[in-house]
Amino acid sequence: MIDVEQIRKSFNGTRALDGFDLHVGAGELFGLVGPNGAGKTTLMKTLSTLLPIESGTAQIGGLSVTTQAREVKRLIGYLPDQPGVYQDMSVREFLEFFADAFQLRGARHQAAVGRALERSGLAARSRDSVEQLSFGMKQRLVLAKTLLHDPKVLLLDEPATGLDPLARVELREQLKRLQAEGITILISSHILSDLEDICSQIALIGAGRNATDAEGHSVLQLRAAQAPVRIYEIELLGDSAPAVTIVNSLSGARTLESSAGRLVVEIGGADEQAAALLRALVVGGVNVLRFDHRALGLEERYRLVFREKHA
Amino acid sequence: MNPMIRKELRQRMRERRGWLLPSLYLLVLGAIVTFAYFLITTDRGQSGIQGSTVGVTLFLTLAYSQLALLLLLAPIFSAGSITIEKEQRTLAGLLTSLLTSGQIWWGKFVSSLLFVLLLLVTSLPVLSMAFAFGGIGPWEIFSATLTTVIILACMSAVGLCCSSAFQRSVHATAVSYATVIAISVVTAIVFFVRLSIYESAHRQAAAAGRGWYDIPLNIRAPMYVNPFFFLTASFAPPKQLYPAWITCAGVFTAFGALAVALTLRNLRRRGDV
Repeated sequence: MIDVEQIRKSFNGTRALDGFDLHVGAGELFGLVGPNGAGKTTLMKTLSTLLPIESGTAQIGGLSVTTQAREVKRLIGYLPDQPGVYQDMSVREFLEFFADAFQLRGARHQAAVGRALERSGLAARSRDSVEQLSFGMKQRLVLAKTLLHDPKVLLLDEPATGLDPLARVELREQLKRLQAEGITILISSHILSDLEDICSQIALIGAGRNATDAEGHSVLQLRAAQAPVRIYEIELLGDSAPAVTIVNSLSGARTLESSAGRLVVEIGGADEQAAALLRALVVGGVNVLRFDHRALGLEERYRLVFREKHA
Repeated sequence: MNPMIRKELRQRMRERRGWLLPSLYLLVLGAIVTFAYFLITTDRGQSGIQGSTVGVTLFLTLAYSQLALLLLLAPIFSAGSITIEKEQRTLAGLLTSLLTSGQIWWGKFVSSLLFVLLLLVTSLPVLSMAFAFGGIGPWEIFSATLTTVIILACMSAVGLCCSSAFQRSVHATAVSYATVIAISVVTAIVFFVRLSIYESAHRQAAAAGRGWYDIPLNIRAPMYVNPFFFLTASFAPPKQLYPAWITCAGVFTAFGALAVALTLRNLRRRGDV
């Protein structure tokens, strides 16, 4: 549904996107993560037809975002990182204006506005001024506005920024419902726990390019049956230096963190590799107090990718 | 109807300045005309004065002061029109809707111009005072009004162009006012300075008295972008509109068209939303 090939975009000589690739299938809820300045917002603006690209191709539903922008706009709903509202309009006027802007007419217009009011939970406040709404309500209103014309693809740039925990939970539930309705969603966020909860895959972006983890994956599979890399936390008695030497000498294993009496190691492959490492440590004279498998969360995987690159 | 026009008019009429500015405008205009009336009648009251002279004087006072006031007000309505969308971060929503850049521009332009035209219309009762004294025909009123509308349309287009080019309303408004001053005041200063230099070099010809078209074109040229000269040219009888009024109309139309083209280009660039 979203196909990006080698796109490049510069601002005053600085490359914001530098040959980035992305492929999102229909109906997926796909995450996009990367540090500040990685190019996430530029990518979102490019896909939403706001920014022209210098080279490469970007297509949504098989339509080019540069040469078929008008058709693409019918397909997409774009929520910018800091969405604005018309404070002096009522909630209903705000939605009606955008329904007009999306050329919805007659019964379709009325139905779309009614549905948006229901979706945002603001039906009872349709006559209130937008100015009177809380931040979370405004965010719901803007998301409802984005859905007015029944887009097939949603591009959400940091939609949870500034929301309180309850509003974030509501947003996650709403995104899951929208995915269940068949809408393809590309969401960029710094709140990794939210992405972990709702996304099936997450693309890594750094310095405008596809960033990769230790295995060379630029897309993290969050619903995979078996993660390709496992993390173990080891508690030791005494100096950890001999243990670090043993870990690093074992094929497929490496030390991620080491401090007095504690190691965090990464082991590739199956459980046999972990057993081999434990055996090597014991045979090597290391007093192992604890040897725990730690589930590799998105936050940790993100840290592994971007901390090393940053360093 | 273009949804942008409906939205803009609705928002403008809800603002406090929606009623405050027309009220102030009428007060100032009324005060100027009253002052002009008393000035004429007090000076010549004893010897008697023709009603038509009063009518013509009031009309000219009204036409020039109205143009000056509207030139000062036009940037307020147009220069903040697009920057406000950037400041409140709603421009991205407009540009990703099915509204074209042209529709967005047209909505902003019409609403800005309509508000200025509203002020023009509200001054009709004051104008009727001048009409009542005589000396002014429908042609003078029509040509002066048409000229004022052309100038204001052009200045609204320039204001929108500044609005599309800058991020902040204050910057766009400042540049719009600088443009108004440049075409109204700077062109006149340039003209009169160059004319005086020319006349001091050609004393004999100057002493013999010269018409407008005896002044070399390169000296006259700046005045063709001066709105007050454009208005003055509109007082000529219909057969004498060419070349001064027609030239001014062409220059202002070209100026406005350039502003429109630049605004649409800026809106299509979109990178700063």
